[in-house]
Amino acid sequence: MIGARYRPTWRLTEFQLLIPPGLLAIVGLLTIFLVPKGLVAWTWGDIWVSLAFAGLALGISVSFGIRGFRGDQVLLPLAATLAVIGLLMIQRLHPDLARIDDGYSMLAQRQLLYLGAGTAIMWLIVMFAGPMHLISILRRYKYTWLLLSLGLQAATYFFGTEINGARLWIQVGPVQIQPSEIVKVTLAVFLAGYLAEKRELIGASWRVGPLSLPPLPYLVPMGVMWAACLLTLVALNDLGSALLFFGIFLTMLYVASGRAFYIFAGLVSFAAACWLAYLAFARILIRVQNWIDPWQDPNDSGYQPIQSDFALASGGVIGTGFGQGRPTFIPEVQTDFIFSAIGEELGLLGSLAVLALFFLIVMRGFAIALRAQDDFVRLLAVGLAATIGIQTIIIVGGVTRLIPLTGITVPFISYGGSSLLTNFAIVGLLLHMSSLPRRI
Amino acid sequence: MHSAVRSTAGIVAIGLVVFGLWTGEDVSDARWLVLLGAAWVLLLIATRVPLPTSMPSFNRTLVRTALVLATVFAIVSAQLVRIQVVQSEATASRTGLGADGEMVANPRLGNRDLAVQRGRIFDRSGEAIADTERGDDVWLRTYPDPATGYVAGYYSPLLYGTSGLEASYDEELTGQEGNNPIIRARNDVLNRPQQGLDLHLTLDSELQRTAHQLLDGRNGSMVVTDVKTGAVLVFASNPIYDPEALFTSNPGENAEASEYWKSLNAAPDSPLVPRANLGRYTPGSTFKTVSAAIAIDQGFAAPEDVYEDDGDIEIEGRVLVENNRPDDSRTEWTLAEGLAWSLNVVFAQIGLEIGATLMWEYGERFGFGADIPFDLPVASSQVAGSRGFLDSLNAVADTGFGQGQVLTSPLHMAMLTATYCNDGKMMQPYLVERVATQEGDTVRTTEPMVWREPIKPETASDVEAMMVNAVQNGSVEAAQTPGYVVGGKTGTAETGGAEPHSWFIGFIGDPEPRYAIAVVLEEGGTGLSATVGIGRDLLVAAMETESSG
Repeated sequence: MIGARYRPTWRLTEFQLLIPPGLLAIVGLLTIFLVPKGLVAWTWGDIWVSLAFAGLALGISVSFGIRGFRGDQVLLPLAATLAVIGLLMIQRLHPDLARIDDGYSMLAQRQLLYLGAGTAIMWLIVMFAGPMHLISILRRYKYTWLLLSLGLQAATYFFGTEINGARLWIQVGPVQIQPSEIVKVTLAVFLAGYLAEKRELIGASWRVGPLSLPPLPYLVPMGVMWAACLLTLVALNDLGSALLFFGIFLTMLYVASGRAFYIFAGLVSFAAACWLAYLAFARILIRVQNWIDPWQDPNDSGYQPIQSDFALASGGVIGTGFGQGRPTFIPEVQTDFIFSAIGEELGLLGSLAVLALFFLIVMRGFAIALRAQDDFVRLLAVGLAATIGIQTIIIVGGVTRLIPLTGITVPFISYGGSSLLTNFAIVGLLLHMSSLPRRI
Repeated sequence: MHSAVRSTAGIVAIGLVVFGLWTGEDVSDARWLVLLGAAWVLLLIATRVPLPTSMPSFNRTLVRTALVLATVFAIVSAQLVRIQVVQSEATASRTGLGADGEMVANPRLGNRDLAVQRGRIFDRSGEAIADTERGDDVWLRTYPDPATGYVAGYYSPLLYGTSGLEASYDEELTGQEGNNPIIRARNDVLNRPQQGLDLHLTLDSELQRTAHQLLDGRNGSMVVTDVKTGAVLVFASNPIYDPEALFTSNPGENAEASEYWKSLNAAPDSPLVPRANLGRYTPGSTFKTVSAAIAIDQGFAAPEDVYEDDGDIEIEGRVLVENNRPDDSRTEWTLAEGLAWSLNVVFAQIGLEIGATLMWEYGERFGFGADIPFDLPVASSQVAGSRGFLDSLNAVADTGFGQGQVLTSPLHMAMLTATYCNDGKMMQPYLVERVATQEGDTVRTTEPMVWREPIKPETASDVEAMMVNAVQNGSVEAAQTPGYVVGGKTGTAETGGAEPHSWFIGFIGDPEPRYAIAVVLEEGGTGLSATVGIGRDLLVAAMETESSG
């Protein structure tokens, strides 16, 4: 039986679905070449980045087939489409950015490198998670993951470099890593392990006389989580990660316990804590001001959100077209604000399409959870899928000024190694879990 | 949740979002956020569909979670629709002031303009007065000659917008108007810049330069029009400014341009205000031609009618002293002699004869108080600040010889002068003769049009003859030119305080009148002969340009 699982298979659906992003990589780039009087200076040398990406995606699909991998065939094309939109946007931005600052040269090549590393991790997980019993390891060492999460956040506090008032980065030799990207995965693993084990207990009531109380002792780790998220906000000034962690936490808690009360209590208490933080810390006040009315200081703190508004508004329904807009007026457009660049150049159609792709990825992850046999796998699939969904909502909501802006990346799209690596690792985990024996 | 409740909640949520999308000013004003929050809660209710009880509890919570995420994605999409579609114009064009008082605006708007190959502006012989040049990735605006450039106005997309023809013909110059609609739509869809349309003017650069030589740095204006068509050949105003110095193609050039702009605005003689159309001056004695025209048109007077002028006249207790009589022993003058020697006492009597009602009514017929249709905005002329002013006899008498509250622009005075030479037909003045594609295909041509017919043809020829007489036998003798028929009238505008402005209006013909002129020199003193001299020289130059060309 085990031998049968490794029999090569045709992953025809996946291969077919990978053709659009593969073509998009090439056609998108050609679009920019062929538009006369485009504002961006291109060279034919850029096309190899696109070709390499298309080859990479199709190659992975074929290798999965040869290996006989029988998991989900839709996730990879979805993630690849988002990644190619990001890669194209970064290819489009880098000549403009390089003109501003030499540090931005080779941006697209580096992004391709990260993409290669990310897909390599995904590939390794898919290929070797089964034989090495990855799921059991993840489940067994759940408190290790919790400690790792807390340790990474603490390390960021003590050793992190502060950029624009927020501590998001740790310098390790020549590489900068963003620990919060790793923490979101380890946190989901811990929560899945903990909640799968204690699910029955947490879902039940704790009766004290006539009162029906939640099972307080089992909620202590939950309280730790809550406090850690708040600390992330206050100590690291990293509202984005705090929201993300708390969102993952609430989602998994709700799915595991089925109790909407937890969500409600969690949201109310977190909102109250944020309100206190808002009153106590001036920098959070500025953040709120930039959300509600950045025009109070349009040249300084409000500059970035205003430029993002301009970009999105200038895009209109169909956008200016690749290479025809001026997204580089937005500082950090290649990372946090890449969604505004997509909105400007691809218009509402492009921005809604990207949102829809993210939604599909989340739903695909939930579908994997529905079919899974084991509580841990189900909760982990939910948690990881929710990570992508919540992160998307936080950053897109932030750049469109629906919620206060937070420094967090757009999964698969933003420039940056940490983000791409962890998000592709998530896809790898989801793919692996989709290939595990299903519930009947 | 009951299905009726869910449907209602869903409909109300959609209603709130739709209402919110079209109201409010900013992307995220508080009211919109509250509406959106309320809509979200309603959506949560609407999506609380009943799930089969047989479903495992884990699956139920997962479906609920998926539905909640779906509502959040829907709310984010609504926000995108608001920014990118419904409020996109308002958002993209919003401006504000920074802490240092500098203007903050969408830098794309200027760059979008710079991507357009803006139409050029040519004079009547095809010399470019506003040209385009290819820059790095934008089109640059140049104005080859400062003596003509300011007539085009300035084009400063990154800083100060547009003025002059650059402003009034912006749609044509950017190709938004007048181009083939199919090509325009194609360019819109493909995000290609439109190709602007060229303007071909009636302006004669050579004459314009001559005008500036004659003005010789003095503040004032010279306007020459073709009496039959209303075409404007010279549209000179002093002081001038260099529009090219206000054009910037990247923010790096803004500081210098903004220095220049500040200096222009601080200059006491307002170089940014073109006198020819926007200057408002008291016309002084040149207005006597209007009084004469009214009196003759109404039959009160004829050129040979005799008026008494013995050196002064008393009106309601005020004594008006006459200084202009060439012969102090003469006390009787014809109307024609009154105009030729600019006798204030004669025209005070004419003013009284005309009276307030007719003065006001004819003023309106001559275009005082009206919007003069032209390619540029024209300062409104007035006979008096209000109709009531004319009710006093002294006021109407003063108005009769061009003092009182009469105000007018050089362009309007040139139009009046041309009317006398054109059988009483006041032509609509124009600078833009033709709008054409950059390949030269004509899109639109201006046909000469009669704007008004304020006086009878006979009246007009009487006034024309009296103006010729003023040159041949009167105080405007400096305008005499062998070989041509020249008519004219001078004026001195008392400005109360500073030195008076001097005026000359006139026309030249061979013998049929061809060109009309209005000249004003600010604080030109009583150097009327200088004003007449430069007017005559320009008229002669116009005739000679015509005969040589």
